[in-house]
Amino acid sequence: MKALVRKDFYVLWKQMRMFVLIMVLLSVVGGIFNSVFVVVWCSMLPFTAIAYDERSHWDQLAAMMPYSKWDLVLSKYVLGWLSMAAALVLSLVFQTAASFFTHNPPVFFALVMSFLGGLIALAITLPMVLRFGVERGRWGFMIIIFGVALLGGSIAGIAEELPSIPLPAAVLLSLAAVLATAVSIPLSMKLYKVN
Amino acid sequence: MNAIQLSHICKTFDSFAIQDLCLTVPSGTICGLVGENGAGKSTTIRLMMNALQPDSGSASLLGVDVTTPEFRETKEDIGVVLDEAYYPETLTALQVGKVMAGTYRRWSQKQYEDFLRRFQLPEKKPFKDFSRGMKMKLAIAVAMSHQPKLLILDEATSGLDPIVRDEVLELFYEFTREEDHSILISSHILSDLEKLCDYIAFLHQGQLLFCDEKDQLLETYGIFSGTAEQLESLRKDAVIGQESSSYGGVRALVRRESLPNGLDVERASVEDIILFMVKGAKK
Repeated sequence: MKALVRKDFYVLWKQMRMFVLIMVLLSVVGGIFNSVFVVVWCSMLPFTAIAYDERSHWDQLAAMMPYSKWDLVLSKYVLGWLSMAAALVLSLVFQTAASFFTHNPPVFFALVMSFLGGLIALAITLPMVLRFGVERGRWGFMIIIFGVALLGGSIAGIAEELPSIPLPAAVLLSLAAVLATAVSIPLSMKLYKVN
Repeated sequence: MNAIQLSHICKTFDSFAIQDLCLTVPSGTICGLVGENGAGKSTTIRLMMNALQPDSGSASLLGVDVTTPEFRETKEDIGVVLDEAYYPETLTALQVGKVMAGTYRRWSQKQYEDFLRRFQLPEKKPFKDFSRGMKMKLAIAVAMSHQPKLLILDEATSGLDPIVRDEVLELFYEFTREEDHSILISSHILSDLEKLCDYIAFLHQGQLLFCDEKDQLLETYGIFSGTAEQLESLRKDAVIGQESSSYGGVRALVRRESLPNGLDVERASVEDIILFMVKGAKK
């Protein structure tokens, strides 16, 4: 599976380089929406990788190699998780560095919430995209991402104003993320098909 | 042991079907899979690699049933080149090597790099900028760099210039010097198959018309050239297919054993045999 994740990182590398630049810029600008956007955008990277796979018919070649269906499916989740985790850590680093000049503190809580939101978005959309492909799964996927980003941003916004909510909200979202992922992976295994 | 054994495989699609396909490729041999476009060659390869599930029948490669979990381990011993090299377009040859190093346990980076040099493939150029010939060469390099015992090649030599094609055929020939190494190769270039193969399997509209030793085929069939009257005088079962020749006569593929004693016929090439059989089947 490591080989498949590595392949996807190679495929996405050019985009990622550009994205790190955008991340630096957004960190300097600051704001909760930007932080949510950065992490949630990373939850979409598996779909870009799937789009590249579809274009090259990689799945047909992969079916000839010693990869299991588990490897092929789980690698897309791992790609999403790693990308979001990297975005979270890098955003924190950049925001902390930027805070020396802008005096805006890093929005740690919003980043964690958007990470959890990203996990849920990935868990909801990936089975659909693995089944129907990026082209056909795009609309449902966009609606869900928009909803999750809106919800994540709203919750994070309210949470910062109300100090009693953050812990329960974070725990609730963590549980939802774990549950959604636990349901999503077996579902993806069932729905995955070689195009 | 047989390298490939397909038993009574059936698979039906909307407008096409593989029908009762039985194919055996003994270990240590090279089998050429021949057929027109759409005859079912690529489908057969996908069925034998369990990338497609048959409606009925069974397949085993290197003695392992392809539907069992053990087949994943067996794939380590199988190098496959499909009709297109389906690598993601932004990858470079160097990156493909790194991905494959994590894919195959017996991946030899040195052997892969030797192939890249031998085929003069650029290491850092994106795959999308490769010509078709370069793409196929990269696919061949990958298929041969993890010490496979069985190569399955679907139109692997198409798109290569004659010099490289000859070099690649020599490479395949070298590969089968190891007695447990086998190849199944599908190709439209019948002269390549005649040069390389021990067995020829002919697939026509989803049905395997024959799978015989090449030498046996060449001994069995001959080319008759003469007049239409002379051809008429032959036993009906002797004539497989016929065509009008440019001099007003006829040429026909005939079964030597059904000919009258003393009637001399020309040697048939594999191409002659296949072409006449297709014409015979279309009648």
